[in-house]
Amino acid sequence: MTVVSGDFGDSDDVESLAATWVVRSAEGPLSDVEQQRLDSWLSENSRHLGAYVRAQAVWVDMDRVAALDAGREIEPVPQARHWPWRRMALAASVLLAIGGGLAAQDRLGGRIATARGEVREVALDDGSKLFLNGDTVVQVRFADKERRILLRRGEASFQVAHDRARPFIVQADDVAVRAVGTDFAVGIQDAGGVSVTVAQGVVEVTEKESGQPRQHRLSRDEQFVAAATGTRRVGLDAREVNRRLAWRKGQLVFRGQMLATAAAEVNRYAAKPVVINDPSLGRAEFMGVFNVGDAGAFARGPRPPSMARWSRPTRRSFCRGNKIRRRINSGFRAAAALLP
Amino acid sequence: MEHQARLLWFAREVLPHEADVRRWLFGRIRGLSSCELDEVVQEAYARIWAADIERIGNGRAYLFVTARHIVGEHVRRSRIVSIELVADLESLNIVDDEIGAHRRLSGEQEVERVMAAIATLPPKCRQAFQLKKFEELSQREIAERMGIAESTVEKHLAKALRLVMQVMKAPAVGAEEDDGGKRRLWGLG
Repeated sequence: MTVVSGDFGDSDDVESLAATWVVRSAEGPLSDVEQQRLDSWLSENSRHLGAYVRAQAVWVDMDRVAALDAGREIEPVPQARHWPWRRMALAASVLLAIGGGLAAQDRLGGRIATARGEVREVALDDGSKLFLNGDTVVQVRFADKERRILLRRGEASFQVAHDRARPFIVQADDVAVRAVGTDFAVGIQDAGGVSVTVAQGVVEVTEKESGQPRQHRLSRDEQFVAAATGTRRVGLDAREVNRRLAWRKGQLVFRGQMLATAAAEVNRYAAKPVVINDPSLGRAEFMGVFNVGDAGAFARGPRPPSMARWSRPTRRSFCRGNKIRRRINSGFRAAAALLP
Repeated sequence: MEHQARLLWFAREVLPHEADVRRWLFGRIRGLSSCELDEVVQEAYARIWAADIERIGNGRAYLFVTARHIVGEHVRRSRIVSIELVADLESLNIVDDEIGAHRRLSGEQEVERVMAAIATLPPKCRQAFQLKKFEELSQREIAERMGIAESTVEKHLAKALRLVMQVMKAPAVGAEEDDGGKRRLWGLG
């Protein structure tokens, strides 16, 4: 058959042009001249518009792929030069439960706090960087001999500027994590216990969980948990470590976790918690990437084949058919699927 | 719906079904070149973009029906219509089986597919893409880190995007057959 072609070249050219425009407009606002050129190209032919929409959709979809694949190496690209931050990169995550008794200390100096669902990055005056997860309180206490951070609540991660003379110590409850020139994270959970997760490099953890102070050296992709039930060490893979640190990008990433587990994690950030009414649904495997604090999108995300209802204790109910009705902040990336 | 949300809808509800629509048209209309297929698909995207997405319940069905309309219009507009082609076109009216045969990739498989494509890119191109999408650096930062011009970074990124756009046209290996569709007739609502 002959599809009516106007005076335009083959689709390769159209797609290449569309791809170029998408990459350029993703970088930032176009100049007036560029915008005019784009507009006139789009209005020239509806297929140009179609190719452009399609290219944008693919570009957006690749964000999701990147998020789901966070940190996985395809194969190392030969690097022209070494990235200094790679050398000192180390991430650990310390989670612990804190009861009462912190309100008084919270009023002391150097306090930084975030609201629920807020993720904040703070530059410390020694050149280190601090990322605060939602609902988190830390106190920064820098002295001549040491740099100490007290974690009161929530979770935080640190990129530590190298300074041999002033060790960098993060303290959460009876657990202290010491790092010299590294990058690590610290957090506090309702469930209790302290967990330290190391993405890269080495940290030294001191804990008194067993009564006597004990030291543990943790290296890359290891997790250490100190809870009332005792201490344990777990090996993780790099993807899991990255998944757990996705909040630094303001995201929650799930890769086959149980829906109930995923919902619990989302609820750490949400003002209105997600409730799953059907226990069998709670055991379904779940996959998705969500903005921190967007429990609504989470609840409307996947739709299981059963008639199970998710509900929040509000006047809303969700999930009718497969329709996606979302109000999404720009930059929001979401993808959700119940795994078959 | 705002722009970004519409794009996400396309990424989730239209893009995954494009390969099936292509295969369906290709298998039923003789002498359809891949270039013409591209044109039909582009036209379909443009029309769906203009549609009221909020009211489209089934993106897959809508894509099929839109593509069928476009092909029909092309046939009506062309001067010479062979009997064979009209017969082909008739067969396009029975699309419910196709629409129901929902081949879905799991999220993991989709990732694998795109990653495999990206792995075939030249090293510099791939590195630029990874820095953009995984490290979320700006083009300027990528240019500094790689020691190349910003315009070259843009070319690399466009090339990577172009490649993934091409990959999306092919039916994915490992897509599951999910025969959950009841027979019914689809029309544009």
